[in-house]
Amino acid sequence: MSQRVNLNLKNELFLYGAKDWNQCFQCGNCTATCHTTENGFFFPRKTVRQVLMGLKKSLQINIDPWLCTYCGDCSKTCPRDANPAEMMMSIRRYLISVYDWTGISKLLYKSKKLEVASIFLLATIVMILYLLFTTFPSGAAARWIGPDGGALINKMAPWRRIHLGDWIMAAGLITLIVTNVFYMWYKIIYEDKSLKLGFIDYLRPISLLPKIFHPDKKYAKCDEKKLFLYWSLHLFLALSYALMFTIIVFFLGWFQTDNVYPIYHPQRFLGYISTIGLFVGIIYFYTNRTIKNMENSKYSHFTDWTFLILLFSTTLTGILLHFFRILGWPQLTYITYLLHLMVLVPMLTIEVPFSKWSHMIHRPFSLYFAYLKKLAIINHKIILNNCT
Amino acid sequence: MTAIYSCDTLNGSTDPLNSSEIIDYAAKLPGVSAVWLPSDISLTDPEQVSKKIQKNNIKRIVIAGNNAGMHKSFFSRAMVLAGNNPGDIILASFLEYGASHKNEVERAKAIVACAVYGVPFENAAVPEDLPLNPATLVIGGGIAGIQASLEIAASKNIVYLVEKSATIGGHMAMFDKTFPTLDCAACILTPKMVEIGQHEYIKLMTYSEVQEVKGVPGNYTVKILKKARRINPDTCTGCGTCAEKCPPKKPSEFDANTTLRRAAYIPFPQAVPNKYLIDASICTYLINGKCGACVKLCPVPGCINLDEKDEVVEINVGNIIIATGFKTFNATKFGQFGYGKYPNVLTSIELERLINAAGPTGGKIAKRVQDKKGNWVFTHESVYTPKSVAIIHCIGSRDVNYNKYCSKVCCMYSLKLAHLLKEKLPESEINEYYIDIRAYGKGYEEFYNRIKKEGVNIVRGRPAKVEQYGDELIVRCEDIEGKRIIEQKVDMVILAVGTEPRTDSAKIAEMLGITVDTYGWFKEFNYISDPVNTFSGGIAIAGACQGPKDIPDTVAQASAAASRVLQSIARNKIKNGIKSLSLEQIETKAKELSQILQE
Repeated sequence: MSQRVNLNLKNELFLYGAKDWNQCFQCGNCTATCHTTENGFFFPRKTVRQVLMGLKKSLQINIDPWLCTYCGDCSKTCPRDANPAEMMMSIRRYLISVYDWTGISKLLYKSKKLEVASIFLLATIVMILYLLFTTFPSGAAARWIGPDGGALINKMAPWRRIHLGDWIMAAGLITLIVTNVFYMWYKIIYEDKSLKLGFIDYLRPISLLPKIFHPDKKYAKCDEKKLFLYWSLHLFLALSYALMFTIIVFFLGWFQTDNVYPIYHPQRFLGYISTIGLFVGIIYFYTNRTIKNMENSKYSHFTDWTFLILLFSTTLTGILLHFFRILGWPQLTYITYLLHLMVLVPMLTIEVPFSKWSHMIHRPFSLYFAYLKKLAIINHKIILNNCT
Repeated sequence: MTAIYSCDTLNGSTDPLNSSEIIDYAAKLPGVSAVWLPSDISLTDPEQVSKKIQKNNIKRIVIAGNNAGMHKSFFSRAMVLAGNNPGDIILASFLEYGASHKNEVERAKAIVACAVYGVPFENAAVPEDLPLNPATLVIGGGIAGIQASLEIAASKNIVYLVEKSATIGGHMAMFDKTFPTLDCAACILTPKMVEIGQHEYIKLMTYSEVQEVKGVPGNYTVKILKKARRINPDTCTGCGTCAEKCPPKKPSEFDANTTLRRAAYIPFPQAVPNKYLIDASICTYLINGKCGACVKLCPVPGCINLDEKDEVVEINVGNIIIATGFKTFNATKFGQFGYGKYPNVLTSIELERLINAAGPTGGKIAKRVQDKKGNWVFTHESVYTPKSVAIIHCIGSRDVNYNKYCSKVCCMYSLKLAHLLKEKLPESEINEYYIDIRAYGKGYEEFYNRIKKEGVNIVRGRPAKVEQYGDELIVRCEDIEGKRIIEQKVDMVILAVGTEPRTDSAKIAEMLGITVDTYGWFKEFNYISDPVNTFSGGIAIAGACQGPKDIPDTVAQASAAASRVLQSIARNKIKNGIKSLSLEQIETKAKELSQILQE
């Protein structure tokens, strides 16, 4: 595959948090250390080579960074301190912006100011929308306060309206995600003419499904024992998030209620479990990134912090809202509800399609595409030759 | 008007040469109108600098710092743009003139002063002559020490050769062959060793250590600790009867710990002096007070005295040559290759002994096995034919986690070992894993090509780990040129360990008043133009104590050090070290010279 060398590629990647890889002398230590390397997928060395040589086209269709589990073994043993593991993460950020056809992701990754500004802009939009669509009660007497003095959330923000908003936003985000994944497929699989895949081949990796949606167990097998804790907390966080997501997107009418249920009621304890999961995960990842005692949390791009802060504020406002309601403090409840919406919406709109969170889509699909590539190699005896 | 550019202030605060003291001093020198720091100047924009030059009416620029030469081209451009003569740029290079000593700030100031006065530093800093004692002390009896001693003694001047271990010969005596000619190392070295032992002008002191050095160049008083050999070397006939009943206990240093030696021992059969001695640390008599079998067996009455004490002798010398050599990298630090954990992972120096005809197995390849007492050794019973052997390059070299530098010799000796293995085991598969092959020098590249043709499997890629499953070792590596991941089953792994400075090099440097670099190698006066002298006159360095070196380079440098000594003997005077000059002395001399130049 002939292609034009882009000498600016390295400088561009610095904006995505990359370090200087001129250190690398291509010894292949990282590839040999890596437990995910197989014949045909030689990362990270091959990826560094693409960057150093400025092979932009090869880099854009490179699947390898998504297969990386970031255990950090390569960085630890690298004889040149070239940080191959961190490089894989920077290239992930770069690839997110490549797959995002709108180009918004690129802007957000490159500019800290723009990211913060867009968060505040979205929060303001949410507030304005709220003020437009809510029906204020007339008269000072009826301040949405129930007979027992508690809050009446469904008066203040009827769940049907919120649900409608939910679905509109979800539709938008899903459209973005699906088109991004389609673009990714187009670049990685469709444009690579050497891969001849029949329709049936696409269905074969069904068996992969269960383990595809989370970093697989290989990760915990790595040398560092701490990684098992890391792996399980990541799983806990992801499951808690999925639980909360399901409740809010599909069962909002049941969840957002003005009744105070006893503590063993699923409406309460499911909420508590997922809150604990989110908090424990956030605090663990936050401390890791501050202490920097593990290879995979040594370097943080500003988007990593934004993600943690947004998720933390969303969880905090969510649980505070719950307690204020139970304690019967209506005014605080209403304010917190609005604040909750004002962080939740920017978090979802920015993080899911354009930033760090899109890894929950890109990684499973990369595993899928990598599997397809392997199939193509086995079926047609193709040698993957798309880079040096 | 002169401007000074101090180019190194960004290098990090730990370097004392970055202190503002030097900059303040430089600003007060006559004719200096401006001092620029890296923060004042953008090194990508010569036009900005040229404007600065014109504004301040600057005619000369002095670039001061460790890497002064690197910035010369930039300032030349700026000078041309400003309409000045680009030749009026003077380098004050701290590295070149050795501002790396205890008084390094003073030295750096002197270097800047000389540059500002326009006087070459070496003309302004001329140390005085001192009277000379023609005797020489050589520390270290490896090939460097042997060569230097022989060269000096050939001019009929006394040489004291002090060696820490019981025999001279050093690392070279341990090697089987030399690269690239594949000559037998012992055949080159042993005649020289014998000559040392018999030379009338060489006073050989083995099993001795230098304890204290006092005095000035030309007249040093040196205290030497002669450790008790406990067997009188004058009467010992070297018959070996004393060793017969002595139990083997300690790993033999000469055989690179591949076999055990006794308390009464001779390091190796060709040792010089060829006399037995007793190692007090493992002698049963000295530990328990019971035994003394050697005394009863010895055919020479009164030869063995187990209660002999160490003694200190004092000698006077005029010159000292340091040739203390190197040590090999400790491969146990490299956990992923399993050295010390898997018995058949060997270091290169162990293989060197194993493959040597005088080695523990008589030159046959063997497995490392545990003897009855649990020591891991190679024995005649464990001889076998490995089907496949892996040699891994760059162990502890070119690695930021261990040593950043290239050890220079490992590529070539690995190729040599591959050849020797191929010679002994023609049916076996020999694999070499390298990062880069550094076959520099005369006949080396040809040697590399020859080894390739011999059928050695040479793979580019640094292995990540060695693991043992059952009897097999598995080397995991990326074959970069073959575009595949290899998991090679081998029977034996050889780690090509790099070279390191001796652990006591800092102690020796302090004793002799010379400097070591960040790794611990001794620092020479000037790496390019004066690699044998040090900042203390009368002390020269030779061989691998200065930095990684192969045998030809070591021998060449040893001869150079000898010529440095002989020069002073022929003049019957010796130049004091440059470190004896104070800043004022250099400054005054520079002023004088600059006035003469102006006239």
